[in-house]
Amino acid sequence: MSTLPRPSTILLAAITTLVAVLLYSPLFVPIVSSFFTVSHGDVDWSSPTLSTYRALAGNTDILAALRTTLIVGVCTVVLSVVSGTLLALYYHGRRAGRSFLQFIIFLPFLMPPIISGLALLIFFREIGLERSLLTVVIGHTVFVLAIVYRTVLMRLQSMSRTLVEASYDLGATGWQTFWRIILPNLSSAMVGGAILAFALSFDETMITILVTGTQSTLPVRLWAMMRLGFSPDINALVALILMFTVLLCVLAARFLIPRQMATERN
Amino acid sequence: MNQNTDLLTLRSVSKSYGTVPVLHDIDLSIRDGEFLTVLGPSGSGKTTVLRLIGGLEPLTSGEIRLDGQEISRMPINKRPFNTVFQDYALFPHMTVSGNVGYGLSVRHIRRKEIASRVAQALELVQLGRFADRFPAQLSGGQRQRVALARALICQPRLILLDEPLAALDLELRRQMQEFLKSIQREIKTTFLFVTHDQEEAIGMADRICVMQAGHIRQLGTPHDLYYKPNCEFVARFFGENNLVAGKLGPVQGEQRPIETALGRLVCSISGQPHLKTAPDGASAFAAFRPEALHLADAKDSSNRFSGTIADLAFAGSSTVATITAGTVDPAQRLRLRMPSRIDGSALKPGAAVSLCFAPHEGHLVLA
Repeated sequence: MSTLPRPSTILLAAITTLVAVLLYSPLFVPIVSSFFTVSHGDVDWSSPTLSTYRALAGNTDILAALRTTLIVGVCTVVLSVVSGTLLALYYHGRRAGRSFLQFIIFLPFLMPPIISGLALLIFFREIGLERSLLTVVIGHTVFVLAIVYRTVLMRLQSMSRTLVEASYDLGATGWQTFWRIILPNLSSAMVGGAILAFALSFDETMITILVTGTQSTLPVRLWAMMRLGFSPDINALVALILMFTVLLCVLAARFLIPRQMATERN
Repeated sequence: MNQNTDLLTLRSVSKSYGTVPVLHDIDLSIRDGEFLTVLGPSGSGKTTVLRLIGGLEPLTSGEIRLDGQEISRMPINKRPFNTVFQDYALFPHMTVSGNVGYGLSVRHIRRKEIASRVAQALELVQLGRFADRFPAQLSGGQRQRVALARALICQPRLILLDEPLAALDLELRRQMQEFLKSIQREIKTTFLFVTHDQEEAIGMADRICVMQAGHIRQLGTPHDLYYKPNCEFVARFFGENNLVAGKLGPVQGEQRPIETALGRLVCSISGQPHLKTAPDGASAFAAFRPEALHLADAKDSSNRFSGTIADLAFAGSSTVATITAGTVDPAQRLRLRMPSRIDGSALKPGAAVSLCFAPHEGHLVLA
């Protein structure tokens, strides 16, 4: 950077700041305005208040939606982490059929969600599965599986093959090697993958709308609320979701950076 | 601990990866308690030998016997051998004592006993203070010693070491060589050490097995290999050497002449019966070490020839002269190593010199 002449450095800084402000300031508007009341369609900036949060806490619809979201998220995480890890273990180092399987796993993640959602909807109808939270969980799992699979596979590939050899060499059985060497070395990747999976499931909307029954998850609820007109609790809700998502991302990053690297850097 | 009994025997062992053969009909006996080094350039199959013995790879054909019992098909985790891997393969999520105790804990040995044996093993490799560290917090040499402690705690019959010093810098490598050798003497366990570094091999081994292209070329003490190489490859690979091609002449007792471009050179054949039986006129090389070659004085009569000094290189305690002689291929110059002198050498590049070596310091290898 220091190689650039000074005026261009200043110009560059100005442009960068402007872009950052334009792109990211809208994110802060709901957070800030969630602390003020709205009357006659206008924000009253004179008196900060927590009333929107109080209103949100009293909104049983939203609380029910939040509960549904959490149930779906936890089920999705458990299903996708278990199956993603098993798939990664099975296909690690195996050539035959691996690229085809990877293609299949990544397809729902890369396709427009509306296509994935419609495909699932048609599938559920064909096999006669009623739309319910179960179908939502299945839909989310299919969607997030790619992330967990990829995360675990990457860790497996970066794990030295000699670790497993050393374990056998020292007299361990296959089972002991799996539980004591392979799994502990995968665990942080699994936790990281789980957090990402949860975050994805948390705000997945399109597939959910298509395959859900009578219950709605938080983003679906939010979307319905927006259709009926702006309500101040929405600001509070958005602020809370934002905070929660940021927290998840920070956690995921912590688990996905290998511990060894982190220690070496210190 | 009788060095004359065979611990492990490989009989006509071959190994191929797919259709690519990497080992051809290897026969090798490892004696109980010895430090055996397998030495060879990369791609010679030396690591494959170690992996076959350790059970990390299946044999293609042949058999491996431990105390006379066939173990070729014994699974890796049942073999009483432990390996020190080239990359150490320490378990990153376990502490030093967790790593060292792993071999005991998978055998369900009582915790108390594990703790005391781990402490002993760490004491042996001088890492007692580091028991609670993680591998990432250790230096290369320390990791190396943890890997060694982890291998020897199970009291294996044989410890397999796969180029364990390759990743260390020169000074540390020297220290570790001495360290490994002293540990081996202390625990009296058989070591099979794989390396491509001949200095390492000379420094540590009781016996060296030289491999090339999937074959064992020679097996013997470092002294034997240095002074009685049995083939051109060993003569060239093992230490610096001068090789001059020629045709064998008739045997004269324990010596045999060879007609070369430098004239008739007489070399010792004592203790090498295959050189006695080789027919007259067979192609061979006269082999003599740079330190055996010296400037001739008036009383030297045999193995005398003249040459021109092409270059002089000061190498600390010794000085090496590169010499062109006779009609010897100019690409293949002779080397002469002499003690350095504080007042410099009287020789100058371009000087014509008369050279010779004593017949008992010259050897023959068949081409």
